[in-house]
Amino acid sequence: MSVDLDILGIGLSAPGLSDWECFQSVLNGKTIDIDSKAKPSTLLSARERRRAPAAVKLTFPAAEQACAMAGIDPADPLAVFSSGMGDLDITNYMCRTLADQPELLSPTRFHNSVHNAASGYWSIGAGARGDVTAISAWRDSATLGLLEGITRTETDALTHSAPVLVVIYDDHAIGPMHDLWPSDSAFCAALLLAPPNRGETMARLTIELCQDQPRHAPLPASLAARIDDNPAARIIPLLALIADPARGDLVLGAEQGPALKIRRSSTGSAIGTEQ
Amino acid sequence: MNHPLNVSAMTLTCSAGSGLDQVRQSLRQKRSGLRANDLEPCTLTTWIGRVDGVEAARLPIALADYDCRNNRLVELALQNDHFIEKVQALTRRYQSERIACVVGTSTAGISCTEEAYRNLGDATRFKSEFLLPRVHTPHTSSAFAAKRLGLDGPVMTISTACSSSAKVFAAAARLIDAGLADAAVVGGVDSLCQSVMYGFHSLELVSDQPCRPFDQNRRGLSLGEAAGFAILEREPDHSFGQLAGWGESSDAHHMASPHPEGHGAVAAMREALSRAQVSAGDVGYINCHGTATAMNDQVEAHAIRQVFERPPPAASTKAWTGHTLGAAGIAEAVFSLLALVDEQLPAGLNIDQLDDACSDFVLTEDMEQRVDYVLSNSFGFGGSNCSLIFARA
Repeated sequence: MSVDLDILGIGLSAPGLSDWECFQSVLNGKTIDIDSKAKPSTLLSARERRRAPAAVKLTFPAAEQACAMAGIDPADPLAVFSSGMGDLDITNYMCRTLADQPELLSPTRFHNSVHNAASGYWSIGAGARGDVTAISAWRDSATLGLLEGITRTETDALTHSAPVLVVIYDDHAIGPMHDLWPSDSAFCAALLLAPPNRGETMARLTIELCQDQPRHAPLPASLAARIDDNPAARIIPLLALIADPARGDLVLGAEQGPALKIRRSSTGSAIGTEQ
Repeated sequence: MNHPLNVSAMTLTCSAGSGLDQVRQSLRQKRSGLRANDLEPCTLTTWIGRVDGVEAARLPIALADYDCRNNRLVELALQNDHFIEKVQALTRRYQSERIACVVGTSTAGISCTEEAYRNLGDATRFKSEFLLPRVHTPHTSSAFAAKRLGLDGPVMTISTACSSSAKVFAAAARLIDAGLADAAVVGGVDSLCQSVMYGFHSLELVSDQPCRPFDQNRRGLSLGEAAGFAILEREPDHSFGQLAGWGESSDAHHMASPHPEGHGAVAAMREALSRAQVSAGDVGYINCHGTATAMNDQVEAHAIRQVFERPPPAASTKAWTGHTLGAAGIAEAVFSLLALVDEQLPAGLNIDQLDDACSDFVLTEDMEQRVDYVLSNSFGFGGSNCSLIFARA
């Protein structure tokens, strides 16, 4: 059984991959400039940005870019935040403090330690009152985040009119957690999904579950290195397919459970925005 | 039209009992699972819903790299109520690739991460016995449960604090409705750890007595641990009840406090009614979130009143179990389904004087009554709300 959906917007937040334009130029062979950082969130004030947890600083720019590209109010979409490890900075703080001086644990940092802190702040910052959820699938979080987003575009008659924002992210490792999550570069990508024909689409995708091994057309070495470094970046082959329909089908894998076979399909009209 | 989704098997392990029979006995005998805090190294004066035997539980040797308190609790739970055998029978009816596994948790393996840091000393790297990458992730217990049960469909963790394992029912139903799975094992698990003990203490939300949901003089919550699982499928031989509807919403208000008017809670309950295609008057009982914090119980009572002109009998079961956080959704789904099947509506526990906000509908004595629909509320940090409606099968 396959599902069709449209991509209405994309955002990125990662060192050297700071937005969709930047990603496309790297895909086309430009050297990554790691000093290029995503423009900070405009949903948060300067003061809120300084106090925000790392996961919020990482995810908001990408999520905001995806909504802006589609011309959609960030309050409107349902949202799925998917991360294998969540906020590693706060995990490090919590565990160090609990080991040394548990009575001094900060109440603010405690409530920011929940896995749904980034999604919770997104709901607050964007004013989103629909469902905003937080999932994890360890190194499979890109695939399962997309899958959870797909089911929301497909089945839900009550919420069918809302697009679905899928935010896939993982931070670089901090302190002793590096041995368990050996990642050096944070990565976040946001995709705004919708059922077919709900808005101006960047790409129409046909997606089905399969048991195939992961595969995709070759990528520039700099992007392949990001995929090896941070499992959230395993979404990059899909971003590349959206940028370049000539790349052909791909299989987004999962180490546990089925993979997703994804191909570009015709939008059936001339509203595509590929140049 | 699709057949409704049925809960064809379920199990619960919490401080009030290990398996459905013990849980039922505790409900009937009004025997709370709470005890004075004895969770080392935590020295706080409070009461906890600790499950006996977690430390002694052992995972199968082949899955030793998942060993942590959360997954030992999962193992204990799966051993009860013939749940493993029932999943084995399920895998004979459906291909294992077509059975999803969706588990909610908030603590996951963090007690092991805490222990690794406690043993760090001046070193910059964990001791080798703590180098368990499959444990130190929010996803640990879904991954473990799927391996333990031999499920090869999509494996997903929902971690939205205290609504986590209510939302698993919605996520699994979406996978099945989209044709991406034929059946699902859903569940929830959270285990006691220093993070939640000192964390809720830092927010001044923990009572120094056993919690008293909806009592006028409630002083905060008691923390607990639990693991529960259920099988969702369309046409089973036996059913505890049907998943009639669900509602999910966000407060868009504050990370740790509910919206003062209960906007998100109201939206979740209304969406659940709408999806179930029933009116508020059809609901015969509400298993409340009812944490016994000053704020939650007041806002929840206010929200229920906005949805129900005349609220049905309602209660919180958290005085039996403690607030089991990421496992609260599945635990209270089980309590709700037992109320449907046993035709017995549990009252609250530890109530001397009901809060005026809910004195006309929160039960202080159990009711023997057959009801057709039960609503279960779960609300979490981040303003994450989920309401479930179960129908008599």
